[in-house]
Amino acid sequence: MLSYIGRSCQLAPALKGSTQAVANGLKNVIPASSQVRYAHTDVQVPDFGAYRRNDVQDPRAKSGDTAASRLAFTYMMVGGGTVSGIYAAKSIVTEFVSSMSASADVLALAKIEIKTDEIPEGKSVTFKWRGKPLFIRHRTEEEIAKEGAVDVGSLRDPQADAERCENPKWLVVIGVCTHLGCVPIADAGDYGGYYCPCHGSHYDTAGRIRKGPAPLNLEIPPYVFAEDGLLIVG
Amino acid sequence: MAGVIGKLYQNVFRRTSSFVLAAIFGAFMFERGFDMVSDGVFENINQGKLWKHIKHSYGQQEEGGDEEEE
Repeated sequence: MLSYIGRSCQLAPALKGSTQAVANGLKNVIPASSQVRYAHTDVQVPDFGAYRRNDVQDPRAKSGDTAASRLAFTYMMVGGGTVSGIYAAKSIVTEFVSSMSASADVLALAKIEIKTDEIPEGKSVTFKWRGKPLFIRHRTEEEIAKEGAVDVGSLRDPQADAERCENPKWLVVIGVCTHLGCVPIADAGDYGGYYCPCHGSHYDTAGRIRKGPAPLNLEIPPYVFAEDGLLIVG
Repeated sequence: MAGVIGKLYQNVFRRTSSFVLAAIFGAFMFERGFDMVSDGVFENINQGKLWKHIKHSYGQQEEGGDEEEE
């Protein structure tokens, strides 16, 4: 635009000549110049008051003076949206995650409390825990000594007796044979512990596989000894 | 009012860090308030139908039943 004006300035003499050449009374009154401005004083500036915020109803108000209140309104809108968005996101995530957790009836069955003083020494007692048989064996001193003396390296699934029994007097195992899932018979087999009748796996009194097809020792569930001789499995 | 909003803008909204912190803190407050109000509305609509509204009557009955058995 500027360069165009500059060019028209260079062409001023020619334009002047042409202006004068035209027989027009009006043009002759205007002083000879390449730049002609027509002031549109009749144009009415519309009233934008309906669109202005209250702070800037006066069109000459300085932007800096009203910035705080105008921007604070905008930021409050954004902040309110953020707050409700965070709440909605948190609620959705919480609901989704809690829908995956165990329900109350499952949790109620997940633990079993056993009074250890009701199990006589040398006896194995079977309980039902999470749909599986649970063997709890009150071991005698001879059994403890016998299992402690076993050479761990000679076992198929090498585990020391101390690893398997938190309290050496008590053996807590899940009564499911690790071969094909039969329930072993207590106080039977060559090692005096458990014997699986299905395919002849022999477990000792620490629930370790000693003979037969089973590949692993009997599984030990999580358990704790609470006060007053109470054993909590689960 | 304008002074409060101006202070809020100057101290909280101008920095993104403080704005985000304010949004998170506001979300905690909003959660508490919104949950309390919505739970209150729900319980008001279901007045007399929820377990906690009828629990006392069943507790008395059960105790009565136990006494009869004994």
